[in-house]
Amino acid sequence: MYRAGALGVLITFFLIIWATVLMPMVLFNPKPSGHGNNYAVSNKEVADPARGRQVYVREGCFYCHTQFTRLQDRGYGPLVKAGDYVFETPHQLGTARTGPDLTNEGGKYPAQWQKAHLINPRAVKPGSIMPSFSFLSDRDMNDLVAYVQSLGNERKVTAYVEAPAEYMQGTIPKTVDTNSDAAANAGRGLYIQDCAACHGMEGLGNGPNAISLEKKPANFTRPFYKQYSDEFWYYRVTEGVPGTRMPRWGDGGNLNDPRGGILTPEQRWYLVAYLKTLSKDRTSEDTVDKLDQLNSVGIERLPVITKEQWEPHSGEE
Amino acid sequence: MLLDKIFSNQEGSASRNFMISALWWSIFAMGAGLFAGMEFSVPDLVHNVPQLSMPHLRMWHVNGVAIGWLSMGYVGSMFYMVPNLAKTKLWSERLGNMTMWAWNLLMVGAFCTLLNGATEGREYAELGAVLDVFALLALFCISANVYMTIVHRRVKKLYVSLWYFLGALFWFPLVYLIGQRTFVQLPGLNDAIIGWFYGHNILGMWFTTVGVGMMYYLLPRTTGNPLYSHGLSMLGFWGIALFYAPTGTHHILQSPVPEWLKAIAVISSIFLLVPVFTVLTNFFMTMKGKWHLMITDMPTRFTVTSCLFYLVTCTQGPFQATRWINWYLHFSQWVVGHAHLALLGTFSFILSASIYYGLPRVTGREWYSQGLIRAHWWLKFLGFLLMMTSLTIAGLVQAAGWAFGIPVDQWSLTIRPYWFLRAISGVMIVLGQLFFAYNAYKTLYTPAKLEVKTKEAGVTA
Repeated sequence: MYRAGALGVLITFFLIIWATVLMPMVLFNPKPSGHGNNYAVSNKEVADPARGRQVYVREGCFYCHTQFTRLQDRGYGPLVKAGDYVFETPHQLGTARTGPDLTNEGGKYPAQWQKAHLINPRAVKPGSIMPSFSFLSDRDMNDLVAYVQSLGNERKVTAYVEAPAEYMQGTIPKTVDTNSDAAANAGRGLYIQDCAACHGMEGLGNGPNAISLEKKPANFTRPFYKQYSDEFWYYRVTEGVPGTRMPRWGDGGNLNDPRGGILTPEQRWYLVAYLKTLSKDRTSEDTVDKLDQLNSVGIERLPVITKEQWEPHSGEE
Repeated sequence: MLLDKIFSNQEGSASRNFMISALWWSIFAMGAGLFAGMEFSVPDLVHNVPQLSMPHLRMWHVNGVAIGWLSMGYVGSMFYMVPNLAKTKLWSERLGNMTMWAWNLLMVGAFCTLLNGATEGREYAELGAVLDVFALLALFCISANVYMTIVHRRVKKLYVSLWYFLGALFWFPLVYLIGQRTFVQLPGLNDAIIGWFYGHNILGMWFTTVGVGMMYYLLPRTTGNPLYSHGLSMLGFWGIALFYAPTGTHHILQSPVPEWLKAIAVISSIFLLVPVFTVLTNFFMTMKGKWHLMITDMPTRFTVTSCLFYLVTCTQGPFQATRWINWYLHFSQWVVGHAHLALLGTFSFILSASIYYGLPRVTGREWYSQGLIRAHWWLKFLGFLLMMTSLTIAGLVQAAGWAFGIPVDQWSLTIRPYWFLRAISGVMIVLGQLFFAYNAYKTLYTPAKLEVKTKEAGVTA
């Protein structure tokens, strides 16, 4: 009887090992997506992101900062794909977020700001409970900043979506100059009236209605929306999104009827002019180039705060 | 002579030494946890000391508690429970003491490396290559010792505790071997899958299996009631064996790992309710008519507290492993509270019960002070409730913050009072543990008055 028991213990265990350890090794081999972090971006003489990663591991940053964005994370940049992590060993996905997610942290702040933040977090972020890493050597510190600045630097949009043919062939007269500030301002009014209840005042997808929706409203600040052409925006607003609570704002039957739909075609174009300003661009490259200025920052000197930091979005207005 | 002193052959010495070592390391490990917890409230508590920065303290706290306090205590408990159940002596006390020294050396190594940031960067598997090999050798020695004790047993039937111990000592070295990934470089997400297989199974295949085995041993012993049902106990054992091990991936449910693996993890997490309620039904039916012992008998009180916390942990666990609950709660301090519920609420309490029950029987000395034991229970119990409450509330605030896109800077201000309460709860828990260690020290290292008298009488006679 105990022989059978021992055999049972053996079999159950190896069955589980087979199913949850060996099978994923065999079946789950994502190809490199080309959107993983690129550590070869900066001059190694100045600062080496690959070595900075070792500092990140050594100082245990992953206990408080995660490195994967989820659908519901607003304002944390593009979502991750399996292929982004192929060269990330040991994995730094993290378990808890006592601090923000760092998946796309690169370029969010100037490199000098990052360094000052590491030396004395509360000098640049009052109320922060991040420990001070002032004990790091200058080389470690610069490498760590270079690593942080390289996070998500390759995660760009490469595939583009196109609106259906009837929206693309110039059959819909564009009655509004969607690149003008005036149109965007008009669109903003419409947005606050009709869209903000679900999509939020800043387009983050966190309006008060969002709590009750199973499919969460879109977060327009994602770089993903940079790829939308005017026609695609117009198509989305006009037709709504099937399977979600996003309604049709236009009359699908007659695209050009000025009386059709909840919003007139002109109003929808105003909305497009506003919506296309919301998505944030990612500008990590220029901050990585500025790494050689790192050593000029001391503990007491606060970094220059750039305009981009405080703008809710950096689109053209 | 010296050899006999270091690698003693005396009966029960290995068990005793393991338990004392566990208490010794628990002070440092829990103390580090308290210190790290205080740094959440006062982030500038120490400056420019890398060894005392929060992430380094946390590494040592987790490893010190898991591998030092709990694991060493577990081995010490098994070293007196297994011979007792097999009605024989431990196969080799010398080997047991040797592993005890090896494990202490391992802990010294862990203390020195982790606090200095020498880590492999894998949560729960931080120890470096040399220490990993060391830990594995020690684990194999312990397994050999326990297995050989069973081979030389003088009873025919194996009690259910022995099933758990034997299972754990077969599973855990293998889980450790697979989970460390010291000598392999896996692609990032595969690394994470194996990492959480290990991270969850150090709990499932070691802390739970041995801990439940200890509950099965202690409840009938302390209450004097026979076990309610051996059939149920077997059902629970096989349920845990089947459903615990594949659950690891529920820690990374929203990352881009394969959906089928997530499905396996979630389903087996929910199925875990079956063995858990089987086991607990068995425990609570065994307690029938003896609940009043919780008032007078301290090992019983610790054991029952542990069983009740086990009920809460294992109801909460499957709940938060389901996709939508996980969608909301993941990454928040709720999960930290849950982890403490398992390792502090359940398994620290059962280990304390085992030491309170076992140490007098191994050494033949009565506890120095019952009052200190009571103080320990109250401090740890109330401290733990405070910690659990504050972390859970903080977790809910954080979860709401993530779900509604509130910036971290905002909700991190909201949860500051809960960090403070957590630090206070840490003080209570560490104080309780200090009472425990002091009590053990007084029990073992102050000669009992009666003994002194007989000795003097012997000299004068």
